[in-house]
Amino acid sequence: MALTRTTSSTSKHDAAHSTQAVLGAGTRVRGRITGDGDLAVHGHVEGEVHLRGELFIAEGASVVSNIEASALRVAGALDGDVNVTGDVALLAGARVRGDLRGASVSLEEGAELDGRLDCEFTLPVELSGGGLDDSDGPTVRR
Amino acid sequence: MASTVIGAGITIEGEVSADEELVVQGTIRGKVDAREGVTVEAGGTIEADITGGPLTVAGSVTGNITSSDRVDLQAGARVVGNVKATRITIADGAQFKGNVDMDV
Repeated sequence: MALTRTTSSTSKHDAAHSTQAVLGAGTRVRGRITGDGDLAVHGHVEGEVHLRGELFIAEGASVVSNIEASALRVAGALDGDVNVTGDVALLAGARVRGDLRGASVSLEEGAELDGRLDCEFTLPVELSGGGLDDSDGPTVRR
Repeated sequence: MASTVIGAGITIEGEVSADEELVVQGTIRGKVDAREGVTVEAGGTIEADITGGPLTVAGSVTGNITSSDRVDLQAGARVVGNVKATRITIADGAQFKGNVDMDV
């Protein structure tokens, strides 16, 4: 009398693997998301995110929320301030409005940012025009 | 096949609505509306009213369940709340407290 659904057994397998979490494209969350582990958002989040792990905002995803995380990668839309202990990466296709703070921030060609960067990093040669050094964490306005 | 997985270390406090299947290994507190169904795995916890499609519970649910389809409580499940569904199974080892309304 096996009434278990196939999906249950495959999910259990995934559970053993990692604390990988995915909010699919058709999912909307309004509220606070907290926790440990990485989270990939393909849908919509409105609220707050406090994650001890990496947050990935996929292309097509939209997040309206302040974010605290260990690392952040954005390929979708984000409206909110970011305070990350590790690296922030805005990938091509990212559209971000808000202030970003992280140990390092990178913007790929095609990424859009409307906000401030607050971190310590070395500008690439093409942009530094004058050799801005990273010693005191300059604020770069884009 | 798209699905949303709320990993074991994740807690969501608020409203979750999904057009795809929702797999809960972590915690959701608030309100859940999942048209394609919800699977609460062992260790997963939902403290919310749940509406949507088929529901499979091996973890803990506290809240009223309104399903347009079937509800399966597996061994190890702990459900406190009323259940409205078209079909229901309560496996040996599942714990359940509430009313069942199958629209008879």
